[in-house]
Amino acid sequence: MRQEQFVARHEAEWHAFDAWLRHRGGRRDGRAPALDVAEVPARYRRLCQQLALARRRGYSQPLVESLQDLMQRGHAVLYRAPPPRWRLALRFLVAGFPQLVRSQARCMWASAALFCVPLISLFVLLQWQPETIHGLLDPMQIAQMEQMYDPSDERHTLGRDSGSDWQMFGHYIMNNISIGLRTFASGLLAGVGTIAVLVFNGVFFGAVAGHLHVAGYGDPFWRFVAGHAPFELTAIVIAGGAGLRLGLDLIAPGQRRRGDALIEGGLIGARLCLGVAFMLLVAAFIEAFWSSIGSIPAWIKYTVSGVLWTGVFAWLWRGGHGDAERPDAP
Amino acid sequence: MPPQADVRQDRRTTATASAAQSLPAPMLDTYREVVTPEGVALHLPAAGPVPRALAWAIDFAARGAIMLVIGMLLGVMGKFGQGLYLVAMFLVFWAYPIVFEAAWHGQTPGKRALGLRVVSGDGAPLGWLPAIVRNLLRTVDMLPFGYAAGLVSCLCDPHGRRLGDRVANTVVVHVLPHRDPARVPLAPSQAPAQPLLLPEQGAVVAFGERAPRLAPARQAELADLLSPLTGARGLAGARQLLGMANWLLGRR
Repeated sequence: MRQEQFVARHEAEWHAFDAWLRHRGGRRDGRAPALDVAEVPARYRRLCQQLALARRRGYSQPLVESLQDLMQRGHAVLYRAPPPRWRLALRFLVAGFPQLVRSQARCMWASAALFCVPLISLFVLLQWQPETIHGLLDPMQIAQMEQMYDPSDERHTLGRDSGSDWQMFGHYIMNNISIGLRTFASGLLAGVGTIAVLVFNGVFFGAVAGHLHVAGYGDPFWRFVAGHAPFELTAIVIAGGAGLRLGLDLIAPGQRRRGDALIEGGLIGARLCLGVAFMLLVAAFIEAFWSSIGSIPAWIKYTVSGVLWTGVFAWLWRGGHGDAERPDAP
Repeated sequence: MPPQADVRQDRRTTATASAAQSLPAPMLDTYREVVTPEGVALHLPAAGPVPRALAWAIDFAARGAIMLVIGMLLGVMGKFGQGLYLVAMFLVFWAYPIVFEAAWHGQTPGKRALGLRVVSGDGAPLGWLPAIVRNLLRTVDMLPFGYAAGLVSCLCDPHGRRLGDRVANTVVVHVLPHRDPARVPLAPSQAPAQPLLLPEQGAVVAFGERAPRLAPARQAELADLLSPLTGARGLAGARQLLGMANWLLGRR
């Protein structure tokens, strides 16, 4: 068949498809597309066949290009990702995220160990040898920490130099969530970045907690951190686990190609990061509006903290248990 | 996951499929071809580091402008405003590229200005998770300074992907301008003096389609290349070629 006849035979169909593609954005201007949505896939497949024919028969480059353009636009519409749904997002938070965390249990435990071992050992070490702190933090930092948790301070706000609740809320969001996300991302450096972040944070928290405790500033400090620690520490560990997963996929892809393994690790990491960002958001909220209230007695703070720790672990341990073990993407 | 995810698994990237098939696609080395389940190839002209860096610079300026405006608006609200400012800074830093790329056809404003688009590695539109992955991993691409790791990865990869693109399985491609198909002007139909091969026929018809947009001198110059076929020189040769194009199109 000659090109002219080919065009004459199918042109109306192409125009209709083109018009449908251009108007499906929802412009209701009376020129609504005349196509039934149900027949679009069939039309798209026919277009693909016509494009293949046009190529095979060596029709002119402009015609083939215009068909190619039409095909690619159709492809972009038919193969687009489903829009995110709130219900799915909620399901992910309640069930999918804990399932995903459990499915990566080894990385999570490794991450927890990398974070907790330096933290606890430094804390214990500082109880025996308090002067070790001067090898870990510089005097400026120590002075700042001591000032923030000074029990003789009359301002009745804990854990900050100055600044209102809202200001600190913004600060925690910017700072803490960024740290969480970077903890995951730096896993691409064969896991080294994640390990460094985890160990560094473990050392830092252990040093600060140990020093303040031994210096007699323990009460305000523990009252401050008790509230948000369940979310914040767990989230950092999970972000670290996601980073370790990514690093492992790079080093030891197993039976998969390294590229495919990385893509898989990246998708898992992205979903874990969504949950981590949510947890850190909750932590920032608690830290800014609850933890800093100095007038609440210690026993309430510790009770709330205990409830939150129990809640977080119960959520991660049992969330989505019994569902088909297939964490859904939001 | 939607059912089409399973279909996508079957696709493969082929560098040579269509070249073997028929008329050559433009054989640029950054061209990425993905065969769809329907058996046709998507053409993805991968973008290199320079336009992407320019797009990033535009986005950087846009983000700066947004923060400036927000800063002025919230500046009057005291410490509450400062808190909101930091939240806005977080969103502009992390969420700006993710939301734009996932919700606006794979384009941030900078990419749109430069005619770039992020697509999935199989040519499908970008989903939310890959958008999150590729933008979170900017952290690594930025190392040790100024996107050096990303640049090295971009230059080493046949499709110009930075590290985040590799992990997210995405490609940044040029958006080709949309052109309406051209028409060959009517001319007395004339059979070629000798049978033409398919690519040669395609070239003659393509000349006919481009002719209305060419100056007469340029038409003559191009037609002179085919004077062994047309037996004429100058504009007479161009007219002969137009006649052949009409004949090849079937206007007899």
